[in-house]
Formats: sequence, C-alpha cells, structure tokens
Amino acid sequence: MDFTFAEQQIAFRDAVRKFLIIEAAPEMLREIWETKSGRSRELRCKLADQGLTAISVPETYGGIGLGDLDWILLQVELGYYAIPDSLSDTAYLASWLLEHLPADLALKREWLPRIAAGTARIAVGHPVNLLVADAELADLILLWHDDEIHGVTASDVKLTPQVSIDASRRLYAIEWSPSARTRLCSAKQGAGLWQQVLNRGALALAAQLLGLAQRMVDLGVDYAAQRKQFGKPVGAFQAVKHQLADVAVKIEFTKPVLFRAAYAVDRDLDDAAIQVSHAKLAAGDAARLAARNALQAHGAMGYTWEADLQMFMKRAWALDAAWGDRGFHKQRVADAIFADGAELGPGSTFN
Amino acid sequence: MNAPMNPAANLSDDAAFRSEVADWMRTHLSGRFAQLRHRGGPGDEAFEPTLRKDWERELAAGGWTCVGWPRAHGGRELSIARQVIFYEEYARAGGPGRMGHIGEGLIGPTLVKYGNAAQQARFLPAIVAGREYWAQGYSEPNAGSDLANVQTRCTRQADGSWRVTGQKIWTSLAQESDWIFVVARSEPGSKGNKGLSFLLLPLAQSGIQIRPIRQLNGGAEFNEVFFDEAIADSDALVGAPGEGWKIAMALLEIERGVSTLGQQMHFAHEFSCVIAAAKAFGCDRDPSIRDRIARAATGLRTMRYNALRMLAGDALSLGREALIYKYFWSNWHRDLGRLAMDVLGSAGDLPSDDPLIRPLQQLFFFSRADTIYGGTNEIQLNLIAERGLGMPREPRPAA
Repeated sequence: MDFTFAEQQIAFRDAVRKFLIIEAAPEMLREIWETKSGRSRELRCKLADQGLTAISVPETYGGIGLGDLDWILLQVELGYYAIPDSLSDTAYLASWLLEHLPADLALKREWLPRIAAGTARIAVGHPVNLLVADAELADLILLWHDDEIHGVTASDVKLTPQVSIDASRRLYAIEWSPSARTRLCSAKQGAGLWQQVLNRGALALAAQLLGLAQRMVDLGVDYAAQRKQFGKPVGAFQAVKHQLADVAVKIEFTKPVLFRAAYAVDRDLDDAAIQVSHAKLAAGDAARLAARNALQAHGAMGYTWEADLQMFMKRAWALDAAWGDRGFHKQRVADAIFADGAELGPGSTFN
Repeated sequence: MNAPMNPAANLSDDAAFRSEVADWMRTHLSGRFAQLRHRGGPGDEAFEPTLRKDWERELAAGGWTCVGWPRAHGGRELSIARQVIFYEEYARAGGPGRMGHIGEGLIGPTLVKYGNAAQQARFLPAIVAGREYWAQGYSEPNAGSDLANVQTRCTRQADGSWRVTGQKIWTSLAQESDWIFVVARSEPGSKGNKGLSFLLLPLAQSGIQIRPIRQLNGGAEFNEVFFDEAIADSDALVGAPGEGWKIAMALLEIERGVSTLGQQMHFAHEFSCVIAAAKAFGCDRDPSIRDRIARAATGLRTMRYNALRMLAGDALSLGREALIYKYFWSNWHRDLGRLAMDVLGSAGDLPSDDPLIRPLQQLFFFSRADTIYGGTNEIQLNLIAERGLGMPREPRPAA
C-alpha cells in the first residue's frame, strides 16, 4: 500500500482545519457544553456548508460519494478540535449503514439526501456501547437487535440521559421494543453490516484520539514555552521537554497504523478488524500518554477547569473506552493471532 | 517499626494497643459519623467539612489527635511503632481524611521545634482540641517548582505587627481554615531563598480574600488567597526574620514523616476496591489486568516496607529512603488510578454514585495531580540526583 494521500485529500483536510480553527475555538466549545442540548444548530449548519455532512452520501443522493480514506484525515481534525457534535455518527456511520441496507430504496431516498444537506441527525446504537450517543436530538435512531437493524425515532423509545465525564458528550440509556414495523434488515444480512459499523466506529475514534493527542501535545508545548520557573521557560528543562517528545514519537508511530486500518476498512480486507483494533489501541495509548505528559507539563494549572487542556483530556479518556474498550480490542487481536490456522510469520504479517 | 527485626519486643503490648484503637474506631466512627467512612481523602477534601470537624473533636475527646506530639504540648508522645499502629487502625476502620492534618502534621510540629513559648501556648492546644484549622501558604503563581521565588512581601510596623501583601495559590481548604502560615519576603530586594520570613495569620480579616479554584473534576478544594495589607500581630513571626526558608523546608521534611503511613493504608483500601471492581466487571481473568494488579500489589508492599524503614530511624531526618518516597508513591498511585478506569471500561465514563464505581472514578481524577502537587516528579528526581547522589545542580540563574 502507498501511504501517500492525494493532493485533494490533503487540501480538504487543510480547508476543514482552517474552518475549525475559527468555528471550534475552546471558548465556543465551553459555551456549547454549558447548554442543555450540548449541541449547536448553527455549528451543524456550518459543518454542512463545508460539505462535511455530504462526504459519504453517494452522488445520486445529493452527496459527494467519498469513502473511508477521505474521512480519516478529517476525523483526526474533528478530534484535534474536539467539536461538540456527533457529525461522524450521522455523516460517516449512519450514512454508510443506510446506503448499504439491502434494498428499501424509499428509506435511502428519504434519509441520505437529508444527511447530505445537513438537515438530519442520526444516532447509532451498537451493543459494544452501553449507551447511545446523541439519541435525544436524533431524527432517526438505528438500533441493533440480535443482529437485526431497526430504525426508530426518539418518540418511539424511552431515553434516560446519562452524564459523561466528558461534558461534550450526550449519552442516553434507551428502552425500546423491536417490532416488525421498526425492522429494517434481517439478522442474516445485518450481522455483517454491524461488524463493519463497529470497525468504522472504532476507526473514527482512533483517528479522533490521534487528533486529541496532537492537540494535547501542542497545548503542553505552548504552556511550557510561556511558563517560567528558575528564570526560564520550563520547556527548556530536558525533564519537561523530553516528556513531550515521547508523545510526539507515539503520535508519529500511530499514524501509519491508523492509515493502514483505514485502508483495510475501505477495501473491506479480511484483516480489517485486527487493523482497526490495533489502531484504536495505538491511538488510545498516544492519547493517554499525551494527557499524562501534557498535564505534567502544565503543572497544577493542568488540573484546573480553567486551563483548556482538561477539555481534551476528558474527551480522550472517554473515547478511549468507547466503541470497544482496551480489553475488547486486545481480545480481538489476540483471537486473530491464536486462531487455528492463523497466518503468522513474515510471509503474512507484512502483507 | 522494628518488630520484624526484633520480634520479641513488646508484641503483646502492641497487640493490646492495636485492639484499643480498633475498638475505639468501631464504637465512634458510627451513627452520624458513619457516612464519613473512607471519605474526605485527597480529591474528596471538600466532603462534609463541618461534620469532619466534629469528627476531629470526637477524636480529640478520645485523646486521638496529635498522638506523636510531646506530652508537654498535649500529645500522647507515642513511639513510632505505636503511631504506625494508630494510623493503620484508623485507616483500616475507614477513618476519614483528617481536617486537622495541616495543624497536627505540619504547623504543630514546626511550632514545637521552632515556635516560642507564647506561640506554643497560643496555638498548640487549639490544634490538639480540634478547635482551629490551618492552611498552608507556600505556592504562588510564580513560585511553584521554583518555590524560593516568593514575591509576597511582609513589612514590620512600628508597633511590631506585620502587613502582608501578595498572593498564594493551590491552598487546600483555605475556606474551611482559621489560620494560615505563609512564607513572605521580609527583606526588600532579596532574591531566592534569602530574606524570607515565616508568619502566622488569621484568615478571617478584611485584608484576605479567598477564591476557590475549580478543578477539572468539577470540585474545588484548592484556593487562591489574596493578601492586601493583611495583618499579622507582633508575635506572628516563627523563628527570626530571614529564617523563613529554613523553617519552610523543615516543615516539608515533617510532611514526609509518619503521617504517610496512614496514606498507605488508604492506598491499600483503594487497591482492594480495584480488585473488587475487577471481579464485579469480569476482567479479573484478563491477563493484562491481572499483570497490572499484581504489579500494583508489589508496589504497595515495597512502599510500606520502605516507609517502615524510613521511620525506623529519626522520623524527622530526610534520608535517601525518604527522598525517593514521594516519587514512588505518586507514580504508583497515578498508575493505580489508570488501572481503576481500565477495570471499569466504558462504565468509567459515567459519573456514578455506585459504591463500586464512585471511589475509583475519584481515585482516577485526583491521582492525575499526584505527580504534581507537593513537588513534581521533575523536582523529586532533581532532589534524588542532587541531594541523594551528589550530582551537579541544574544550572539556575544567580539568586
């Protein structure tokens, strides 16, 4: 595989980055977090104006028709700016799932154009997560039931909000009854689709964790340059700067793993699940180390509400355990390695 | 405690003392105090402060405050071995975080050593009785790791009293305290650790404003304390003018003494909570979790033996084994917090009142700060290298 991104992909990433620098400044995030819904209609409209809601939607439904490799760099930015919006759930996961439902064109005709236009929020309830993110504001909730796929609206179900350590998330316990009316897809066809949604959910979070790790390092570097003790910036001390360098190393080594996972998902390769789990673990490690060392570089300030670092740390701690916690992903890697007839050794490992 | 090396010594007396403490705790940490069990530790210090002050007075009535202090100052003058037993049984019973810690553990012993007779008579009985509570005024916005860079200044008035102006920060429980001890610059133009003085001030006065600092977990047990011509009376100076640094450092050495043993008992309790959660959440069979739990178990024992060894000699001297302690426990505890969250998995993301979950979330959040407060990892390693190994000092600007 060639790890080079296309110029167009880089240009899209850069454009989104420029947009988010302005539209997702930390003080705006704090404002949105304090609201009851935790979501900003205005922000979602602006994301749609940037084309972000239309990325996955096929052109026939009014979208741009791009795929996993186009998303991956953007997901890193969504993590870096920690936007308080479940854009990825709607525009990446739900869009993919709806498009790949067997038949039921009416449903696709109804929802895919709305996703592209940014006028629909769709939540996804996969059993690997205890709770459903953003269920209350969702126009449609796609739910797992014994591998079947069901579609319900918030008024069909009982939602109980649950507070997360990350104030930017809006999580709900959901009580509902599956019925023939809500069923969109059989278990036979649903099982494979759910597996792929799981991989995409975990891949998206791996990318966001990588972005978060980079943001935390950047905040640590900035702070260590400004903060003076013993007559010089604390970042001049090797004991401080080496810790941030350690994180930079982790981040750089996470990138190829992440991009390889995106490629495996995009091409629907047999090893996609292991590649995704590897990426999620690696990005989780990077984000955890970034949180730890950026906090250390901030000294006591890092432990305050006032310093922006806390927003990104808490997001990272929460996402590290979402779409499969560490135990889950380690188990997937172990299962693949210890499976009967697993193809190990240089001939297959380095494919 | 030299018992392991000298098994015949006073074992039965110690056992009797141990059960005396345990019985007392069982009888008294009950009723309205029952809700304080295992609460009020680091990260939880804002929990029920009024009730915890009542608890301090309950302890005082039973003669269980200041157990290591000299009898002449109202203590029990217990041997190190007995103090260890007391702290162990206190923590084993779930005794709450001590509101009186800064008075009993820090300023009290400092006054015993450096205070004059009038100061001892004025302050020590109120600490022993649980009537007055203390805050520590060391750190400033520009004096954290570089603690000697204190800029708060104090000036002596014609009547012998003092005026203090400046700002302290990260002051634990200042809003619940009656007095604060501060290190302030008494020689204008002095730099670094020269020209500092150690003063005692009442917090309830118009020259002092206290502003809580909100922590990332939402709580607020630290404060900023602003001094604007705050008044300290003519007998507020501990030691001589200019001796502030010497006294401040002596106090920090006391901080690393006997009271750390209670902390280890609390760690042992938290560790048992992690294991209970691992069983409840079904990850007690997960090899990577088991490995980390086993490491944590060995770390806990290592700390305990080191602490007992550290206390075997003169508890107030700062040997190499004491130098390494902060670095060891803070990293161990920070890792335990991480382990606790990994045990909880995605359930850890949801703040909960479940007695299985809440203490672990709290452990995780506050242990993020362990390697920072009370001397960062970086400062600890410099101390170990420079004082322990005699290595060249990190270049610093001329004081």
